[in-house]
Amino acid sequence: MLTQLHKVEQSLNQVILGKPQQIRLALCCLLAEGHLLLEDLPGMGKTTLAHALANSLGLSYRRVQFTSDLLPGDLVGLNIYDARSQQFRFQAGPVFSQVLLADEINRASPKTQSALLEAMEEKQVSVDGETRALPTPFFVIATQNPLFHAGTSALPESQLDRFMFRLSLGFPDHQAEHQLLQRDSSRSRLELLSEQLNTEQLRALQQQVPQVKASDALIDYLLALVNSSRHRSDMLPLSPRASKAVLRAAKAFAFINGHDYVSAADVQQVFPYVAEHRLDPSSAAQDSRLSQMLLQQTPCPI
Amino acid sequence: MLKQKNVLLLWAGLQLGILLLLQQAFSGWIIGVFLLLLLYRVDSVLRNRATLSLKWVNLLAGVVAIALFVNLRQAGVLHFMLQILLLAAVARLLALQHLYEARQLVWVHYFLIGCCFILHQDMAIAMLVFGVFLLNVYSHYRLFAPTGAQLNWPQTGRAVLIILPLWLGMFLLFPRLPAFWQIPDANVAATGLGDSIDPGSIEKLVQDDSLAFRVEFDGPLPPRQQLYWRARLYEEFDGRSWHVAALPRTAARYTAPSAEADNDTATLSYRVIAEASRQTSLYALARPLSTSANVRLNAGDLISAPKPVSQRLSYQVNGIYGPPALLSAQEQQLNLAPGAGNPATKQFAAELLQQYPQPAQLVQALTEHFRSQPFYYSLTPPLLPGANSVDQFLFNSRTGFCSHYASATAVILRAAGIAARVVGGYQGGQWHPQQNYLAVRQREAHAWVEYLDNGVWQQFDPTAAVAPERILNDLDAVLPQAQRDLLNAGWRQLAFLQAARQQLMHLDYYWSVWVLGFNDNSQQQLWRQLKQQLPAIAATIAAILALLLLFAGSYLLKRRVPAGLPPATMLLQRALRPVLLLKTPSQPLSVYLQQLAISQPQHREWLQQLADVYEQAVYADRPQALMQLAALLKHRRQQIKQLRSSIKNA
Repeated sequence: MLTQLHKVEQSLNQVILGKPQQIRLALCCLLAEGHLLLEDLPGMGKTTLAHALANSLGLSYRRVQFTSDLLPGDLVGLNIYDARSQQFRFQAGPVFSQVLLADEINRASPKTQSALLEAMEEKQVSVDGETRALPTPFFVIATQNPLFHAGTSALPESQLDRFMFRLSLGFPDHQAEHQLLQRDSSRSRLELLSEQLNTEQLRALQQQVPQVKASDALIDYLLALVNSSRHRSDMLPLSPRASKAVLRAAKAFAFINGHDYVSAADVQQVFPYVAEHRLDPSSAAQDSRLSQMLLQQTPCPI
Repeated sequence: MLKQKNVLLLWAGLQLGILLLLQQAFSGWIIGVFLLLLLYRVDSVLRNRATLSLKWVNLLAGVVAIALFVNLRQAGVLHFMLQILLLAAVARLLALQHLYEARQLVWVHYFLIGCCFILHQDMAIAMLVFGVFLLNVYSHYRLFAPTGAQLNWPQTGRAVLIILPLWLGMFLLFPRLPAFWQIPDANVAATGLGDSIDPGSIEKLVQDDSLAFRVEFDGPLPPRQQLYWRARLYEEFDGRSWHVAALPRTAARYTAPSAEADNDTATLSYRVIAEASRQTSLYALARPLSTSANVRLNAGDLISAPKPVSQRLSYQVNGIYGPPALLSAQEQQLNLAPGAGNPATKQFAAELLQQYPQPAQLVQALTEHFRSQPFYYSLTPPLLPGANSVDQFLFNSRTGFCSHYASATAVILRAAGIAARVVGGYQGGQWHPQQNYLAVRQREAHAWVEYLDNGVWQQFDPTAAVAPERILNDLDAVLPQAQRDLLNAGWRQLAFLQAARQQLMHLDYYWSVWVLGFNDNSQQQLWRQLKQQLPAIAATIAAILALLLLFAGSYLLKRRVPAGLPPATMLLQRALRPVLLLKTPSQPLSVYLQQLAISQPQHREWLQQLADVYEQAVYADRPQALMQLAALLKHRRQQIKQLRSSIKNA
C-alpha cells in the first residue's frame, strides 16, 4: 500500500512541478488526519494541489470560495421545505465531502470561519438540532491570502491551532516554470490523474500511522523542544495539542519514508510546518524563523 | 602583599572582641597597650600606609612580652599564657604581609576563641563567643574566596542545615574524654562567704545580686523555713570575730549511720549547680548522706569541692532532714570558748542560765528577749569598734543583720556553757515554678547558730526572731523602702528589664543543665536509654527510610530523569567521543553520522550502516539492534581510529 502512496506522490509531482517537499508534507498531513492551511498569493497552484489530491485518492471533492457574505448555512447545508412531500428535507452543504477546499478562508466572516473550524474539529455538523456526521476521511485544505491584503479577517490563534500544517507552495523555480509553460493546461492533466488509492486503502494507511514507534528518548527530545517555547516572551507557547500534532505529523512523515519508528530527524523535518503558525500567527507562511531558532537552541542528545 | 583590606579590618575587630572577652585575664595597662597596637593597625589600613617593618614589630612584641613576664607572678600562669598568645596574634596582624601568614593567624584566632570558654561558661558570653567565631569563619572564607565572590546565603543555610544533625549527634554521642592536660588555675579573688566574720566592723552590707547556685529538687520544694544552705562553720571566736576552725574536717570522710536514715523518712534529693566561687566550700541542706563523685562529703555535714570551684559545678546530693551529730569531744571543747571581753554579755548569759538551766529553755528565752526588746534588722548598722563589740550590739545599738544576731547569740550560749557555733551559708532563694528550680543569689547569704543539745547540733536562727519575714518571705519584705532601694539599684526597678533578665536567667539555667552539665555520666545514661529503646529506634529509622524510599521511588516513576540517555546513545558516545564533539548540539546523532558518511567517502559504507543500526536501536527500541550496534562498534574499532585521525587532520 505504501508503494501505491508513493505512486500517488509521483503523479502529484507530475501535476505540481518542482514542489516534491510540499507534496510530501501535504500527503503527510492527510495521513495524520490533520487539516492543511495553504498560504500563498493567488495563482500559485493551491487549488490545483487540492484538486489533484482528491482526484488521485478517489475522494469526493468540493470547493467553496469564501467571501465576506458567505453564511454558515451556505457551507453546512439547510433544511428546505419540500412542497411535494410536505416535509423539511436536508440539503447538504459543500462541507459534506471528503476533500473540501476552503478557498481564501480569511475573506469570510468570523462566524462562517468558526462554523467550518467546528466541523473540522468535531467531524460532524449540527443543523437545526440534528447532528450529522461528515464523510470519512474528511480533509480540509484551506487557502489563505497573505494578511496584508485588503478585505481579510485573520483567523484567531485558537482557530489556526486546528490546522495541523501550514504550508506555502511558493514560486516554482526556473526549470519547473519553464516546463509548466511549455505543456498544455495543467487542469487537463488533472483529469488524467487516475484513482490510485481507494478510500478504504487510505483509511488503512491512516490507521497505521499511530502505530509508528516513538521511543521514550524521542518523546523526551520532543518535549524539550516544545518546552523551549514556553516561558518566553518572543513567541506564543506551544500547547499540548501542538506537541501531539508534532508527534503525529512526525509519525506520518516517518511512515511515508518507510520507517516504523520516528527519528529526531523526522521531528526536525516537520516541526517548522507544524509549529510556526502556532508560535506566531501573524508570520508569513514561508517564514520559519521562530521554529528554526527553537530547533537550533534545543540540544538533541540522541 | 595581601589584598584583602577588609579582612585586615575584620581581624582587628575580631582581636578586639577576643581582648574584651578575655579581659579578666588582662590588667588595665595590658589592655591599653593592645588597644593601641590594634588602633595603629586599623589606622595604617584605612590610610593605606605601609605597616611597621618586621624588625620593629619583633622589638615591640619582645618588650611587651618581657613586661608581661615581669607581671607573671601577679597574673598567674594561665593568664600569662593567654596574654602571650593574644600578643602573638596582635603582633602577627601588625606585620601581616603574606597569605600564608594569614592562614596561621586564622587558626590562632580559632584557638583564642576556644580559650574564651576557660573563663566564661554562661550562655550570654557563649553567644558572644559564637559571634566572634562566625566573624573568624567569615574572614576565613573571604581569605580564600576568589575576589568578587559573594556568599551564597541559601547554599550556606542548606549546608548548615545538613551539618546540624551531625553536629548534635557529635555533641550527644562523641565520647567525653577526660582532659588531656590541666589548665593552671587563675589568680582571681574568691566570691561568696569568707573565712571569717567580723560583724562589728561592717558598716554597710553590700548586696550582691549575682547568682551563687541553683538547685533542682527531685521531690517538692521544701518549706522556706527548711532552706538553710550550710556552707561553712565558724567555730573559733576571739572575742570580736569568728573564724573557720582548723579542725581536720576534710580529712575524715564522714559516713552517717544508716539507722538514722531509716528512722527519718523525710529524705531529700537535689542537684546543685554552683557558680564559680574560687572556693572549695559548697552548699548542702540539713544532713547530706551521699553525693555524686565529683564533690566530697566532709565531717560536720558540709560538702566541698576537691579544688577551688573555677567553673560551674553540678553535683547531686541525697540526704535527710535532721540535726548533725557531735563528732568529738574536741569539737565540743572548741565550741565552748566564749572568747575574751564582752563582760556584760557574759553576765547576761549567767543570769539566763540561772533562770533556764535547760539549753532549749534558754534558747527559747533568748528568742523572747530578741522579740520583746527593741532589736532592729538593718543592712546599715552602726560601727561597733573596740574590744566588746558584742556588748555594744546587745545593749546599745541593737541594730544589725544576721551576722550580728548570730554572733551575739553564739557568744551568749557559749558563756552559758552551751557549745555553739555560727553557721555561714544561704537562706531561702527564689523559686521559679515553671522552670522548676531554685535560684540562690549572693544577697541571700545568711548566718545562723547551731548549739549542742543532747549530743546533736540544734539549729537556731536569731534573725528569725527579730525579723521573721526575712525567713518566711524575702529580704525585700523586711526592709523599709529606703533600704529596699539600696537593694534594687536603678535599672533593676524597670519591670520589663526585670522580666527580660529573668528570662535570660532561665535560659542560662537550661544552658548549664543541658549543655554544660552534659558530662560523661549523662552521656552514659543516654547511651543506656538508647540501648533500651534500640528496637524502637531501629524500627523508627527503618520506617522513615522506607517512607523516603517510597517517596523517591514514586517520584522517579512519575518523572523520568531527562539526564538518563538511552543505552544505544551512551554506547555510541563512548565509542566515538572525540568524533562526536564536532556535532552541532541540535543535530540528531544519526543525521550527523549520515553527514560523516558523505564527507568521509572511505568510511561511507559502515557509517551508513552504523546510522541505520543506531536509529533502529534508539528510536525503535529494538534490543537486537542494540546488540548489533555494540558488535558493529567493536568490529569497526580500527576504522573508528582512522576516522578520528582523519577528522583531526582535517
